[in-house]
Amino acid sequence: MNGEAFLRSPLVAVGAALVGVLVAVALLAPVLAPYDPHALAGDALERPSTRHLLGTNHLGQDLLSQLVWGSRPSASVAVGGAALAVLLALGIGVGAGLVGGWVDVAAMRVVDVFLALPTLPLLVLVAALTGVSWTSLVIAIGALSWPPMARLVRSQALTLRQRGFVEAARGFGGGVRYIVGRHLTPALAPLLVAAFVAIAARAVLLEAGLAFLGLADPTAVSWGLMLHEALSYPALYFSALWSWWVLPAGFAITLAVLGFTFLGVGLEPAFNPRWRRGR
Amino acid sequence: MREAGPAARASTVTTLAPERDGAEPTVSEELAGFSARDLGDDRVRGQRRSLAGLLGAYALTVFVLVTLNFFLPRVMPGDPIAALVTPEAATFVHDETLRRELRSYYGLDRPLGVQYLQYLGDLATGDLGTSIRYQTPVSRLVRERLPWTVLLTGSALTLAVAAGLLAGVHSAWRRGEPVDRGLLAVFLGLRNVPVFFLASLAVFAFAVQLGWVPLAGARTLFADTGGLLGQSADVAHHLLLPAAVLATQFAAGYYLVMRANMVGELGADYLVLGRVKGLRERRLKYRYAARNALLPVVTLMALQVSHAVTGAVFVETVFAYPGMGRLLFDAVEFRDYPTLQACFLVLTLVVVTANFLADLAYRRLDPRTTR
Repeated sequence: MNGEAFLRSPLVAVGAALVGVLVAVALLAPVLAPYDPHALAGDALERPSTRHLLGTNHLGQDLLSQLVWGSRPSASVAVGGAALAVLLALGIGVGAGLVGGWVDVAAMRVVDVFLALPTLPLLVLVAALTGVSWTSLVIAIGALSWPPMARLVRSQALTLRQRGFVEAARGFGGGVRYIVGRHLTPALAPLLVAAFVAIAARAVLLEAGLAFLGLADPTAVSWGLMLHEALSYPALYFSALWSWWVLPAGFAITLAVLGFTFLGVGLEPAFNPRWRRGR
Repeated sequence: MREAGPAARASTVTTLAPERDGAEPTVSEELAGFSARDLGDDRVRGQRRSLAGLLGAYALTVFVLVTLNFFLPRVMPGDPIAALVTPEAATFVHDETLRRELRSYYGLDRPLGVQYLQYLGDLATGDLGTSIRYQTPVSRLVRERLPWTVLLTGSALTLAVAAGLLAGVHSAWRRGEPVDRGLLAVFLGLRNVPVFFLASLAVFAFAVQLGWVPLAGARTLFADTGGLLGQSADVAHHLLLPAAVLATQFAAGYYLVMRANMVGELGADYLVLGRVKGLRERRLKYRYAARNALLPVVTLMALQVSHAVTGAVFVETVFAYPGMGRLLFDAVEFRDYPTLQACFLVLTLVVVTANFLADLAYRRLDPRTTR
């Protein structure tokens, strides 16, 4: 693998920078935010000023502070949901690939059914019924995102199973746990990393989308919820209000998604064996 | 990546062509469900099933959806359905007759098995319960709203296919040139912008600032626009912006697949021969190469219905467009569970039906699959 070439690729650099900023802002939110995002720090609908750099919302909460704190649900749901999906896909894909037989058939049939389920309506129904918390979001997004990746992992595991080093390990008496832990997982790592990043991008969109529809923890602060509140405000478009209430949150979501997408697309050539062969 | 294993024999059918540069699926594309190779692969894998097997697989999916729709509200913590008829709960329905109808629709006083059978029977007769908010049968709401969603998504799909295919053909033909890179950046960029944000941007730019189109809604209410022609023009005027915004969500899919397939065709012998014969560039581009690259796009069309439904929920919400998506949004806002469940069921069934039709269409279109 030509390591330096892909790390120098501009896409990876931009993607890593965007994701890095997202994570840093999420971690440092208490330091960066000028006000408590819930506090009524000023009058309602103040214009941007030195006291409130992005103005205030309809309740008088500081929008910049909300923007800073809003990075937290996006970052944490993206990481949590993608991690859960990768774990599920690894377990189910490797299991199906190694065991084969009816387990494989059953697992792939389950994948087919899951792929046919439209994600968003299902998430909306579940979220509306259970109420939304960080845990329920991560579980719901993780549980709905693993199937396509499980299929990739399975086909990769099938290939690996017949490779010399795995056969040799088995010949020397290596158990399933040893083979999975020592040989399969490292060999699958590039695929898992790429899939993690791709699912994280989708998770950011889903979290923001649900919050935009009003399906969020009402006491939390998130970018989707900011847009929900802004677009529910009747006179939003009739003044310059729109430009500091909608634009920053919208761009924040877009940049977060783009960051993960760039990382994924940029890392791909290094990880995809087919691409490597050609170079 | 898919070279060995049982699926490989099927996958070679679609990939007998030599290594096509630019046509490889990326993991991100694969996960998004629309890499050209993957589509072919999946569908061909499906083909090895008989028609009965295919029907069986879809019947299973429909069964899972219908059953989920029944059990989800009943097993959820806090029992949201029971809360509708419990006087202490926040969502208690105060209207006496409505409460009685809810109780009878959900059959709350009977055993679960009986409730389930009754639910299936109600579904079969088109009874979707009574809306808590509007206090009318949900089936009537669906009948009112569904046509608007069909109109919106249909127009958006048409727009997306036209734009995506033309741009894809052009991009592949000029592969590597600035035009190609520019188009690639625009289509991929648009797909990464959340659609509700894009919709709000569009409203601000085209409806508020420029005033070219109305802010919201599907037609001018209470207006005597005079005749069928005037009304159609009014509806089209309202439709333009939401349809265009929705189209950006899947134009990228058609564009990428068409571009990848076209690139795969570029070195083909028949094009070389055509060029030697002195055929004009336009003819080679559209009549020869593009036609051969078109097949996977057909499948994509139906698969995109899933994206379309998701996008429609957001676009209709921003534009206050009176379709199923807006109905879903309002149902969430008012915790109107019967309406919410009906929206879920109708939207998901539309998606599953579209996928089924795609499978059927592909069986007919690809001669390799009917052996």
